[in-house]
Amino acid sequence: MNADIAEYRRRYDAHLQTVAAGLERYIKECLCNVPHVDRVTARAKDPDRFAVKAQCPDERGRQRYLHPLAEVQDQIGARITVFYLNDVAQISQVTERYFRPIEQRELVPESEWEFGYFGRHFVLALPRDVVPEAVPLEEVPTFFELQIKTLFQHAWSEANHDLGYKAPRALSRDENRRLAYAAAQAWGADRLFEELRAEILP
Amino acid sequence: MAPQHVHSFLVHPSKHDADPPQIAGTGIPRRGSLYNMLSTVFARAESECNIEIVFRCRPNGEQQNDCRDELVAYLENPNVDTGHPLASRLQRITTHRSGLGLLFLMASRDNGIHRAVISRFPADQGVIAEEHAHRLSVEFVERVFMKSAKAYKSALYSSPSLTRGFWDGRAVDLQISGPRELSDYWIREFLVSDLKTTGPAGTKRLAVALRDAIRRAGDADVREELISAASLMRRQDGTSFSVRQLAQRLGLSPEAVGAIETALPRRDLMDQVFQFDTEEFQKHVQYRAVELDNGGTLIAEDAHFNNVFREQVVNQGDRRIRFTTEGRVIDQALRKTR
Repeated sequence: MNADIAEYRRRYDAHLQTVAAGLERYIKECLCNVPHVDRVTARAKDPDRFAVKAQCPDERGRQRYLHPLAEVQDQIGARITVFYLNDVAQISQVTERYFRPIEQRELVPESEWEFGYFGRHFVLALPRDVVPEAVPLEEVPTFFELQIKTLFQHAWSEANHDLGYKAPRALSRDENRRLAYAAAQAWGADRLFEELRAEILP
Repeated sequence: MAPQHVHSFLVHPSKHDADPPQIAGTGIPRRGSLYNMLSTVFARAESECNIEIVFRCRPNGEQQNDCRDELVAYLENPNVDTGHPLASRLQRITTHRSGLGLLFLMASRDNGIHRAVISRFPADQGVIAEEHAHRLSVEFVERVFMKSAKAYKSALYSSPSLTRGFWDGRAVDLQISGPRELSDYWIREFLVSDLKTTGPAGTKRLAVALRDAIRRAGDADVREELISAASLMRRQDGTSFSVRQLAQRLGLSPEAVGAIETALPRRDLMDQVFQFDTEEFQKHVQYRAVELDNGGTLIAEDAHFNNVFREQVVNQGDRRIRFTTEGRVIDQALRKTR
């Protein structure tokens, strides 16, 4: 386990940041004529976060990852932020045109009475085009994670990551309710903008 | 590198059969000529299996694939029973055209890396001649396998992780004659997999490399050859091949092949197989520009260039060409650059 974490740190410094930058460029090229794309970003997972994830237990308290380097699928993560809800579907189609998925999920809260994280996630084969020739292929993950979100979904999840997920203490019921309220407002804003887009830019 | 476990199954063609025959399976002992031959197939898979594939996720997007699950179950505990579901899967999709086949499952674990090779050998016909004391017996047999030990299908998988690994692998079909037939039977139906590179992604890569190679080509002959190749490539829609195979098929010179190879992001991408997509190709290689030594430049959509400009060789020796065209001027401008 520790050997995997140390090896990840070495790979991160040696190659992964370069590969992530290459992936970002590659995705931008694939989307070059697609409208309403606000931003494309890609990053290699921070080594400290990799270490935490590599050691996290599963639901039964056992070690979730026995071979983290081969098993953690978001060592490289990319995000496409778009203007409107309809763009998420459009970009998903473009994604499937240029990348091979082994997973795709629409992330929504479990209950229709809940508001929280929304977004579309893919696990995709990493194109070899983004790996510089000098980098050994066996030191680069086979897959990467891609998120496609609207600006409002992204804004809420970033703030929630900071204030909710990484909160230094347990949140009160009222604080949780306010985070959910903010998610509901982001959800509502997305709906309104999508309706306006359909009316104004059919 | 030799397999530590080898199991074999006789697989009858049973696609659409309501009552498929039982599948007989057996373990192959780790000695003797058959094991030695299979060890060669196992070792050779590393260089032979050159088509990169990934298992397909479920239609609902879940990261799950039945064929992968069966492969992993076999690797967790390799025996006839755990290999049987893979043989059954092959039987369910095998038509009479593909015919009777012998399936081999081979597994090893070395330095913590699990490795699996799945191979299918087709049945053939042959004659057994046996000499007895005073006579010769000759018998026709219909279940000869490996008559040609080079005509088989294989797939190679390796990973340290049986839980989250084994999502990608490499395959080969040595039975097929041309890339167009790239085995739907073996890759898409049996292995429930797709080529790792999508058609548009592979085509875009080729088109951009070709475009860049044309721009950079210092030699006029190479540039002309690459431009001609671009025209011919448009007719390859739906065909699966690697860039190297395509270059061979078009008979490109080593210089032209080298120019494309240099323009690719990595040289090993010359050998990655994808399905050509003409629509995607057109997006990236759209216009043909011809520059003459008199300062003139002709530009037209590549697909229609030869209709727009009529070409006449004026002098073969110094390669002088006259282009003629006719039309109404709809726009003209002065530019600082071309």
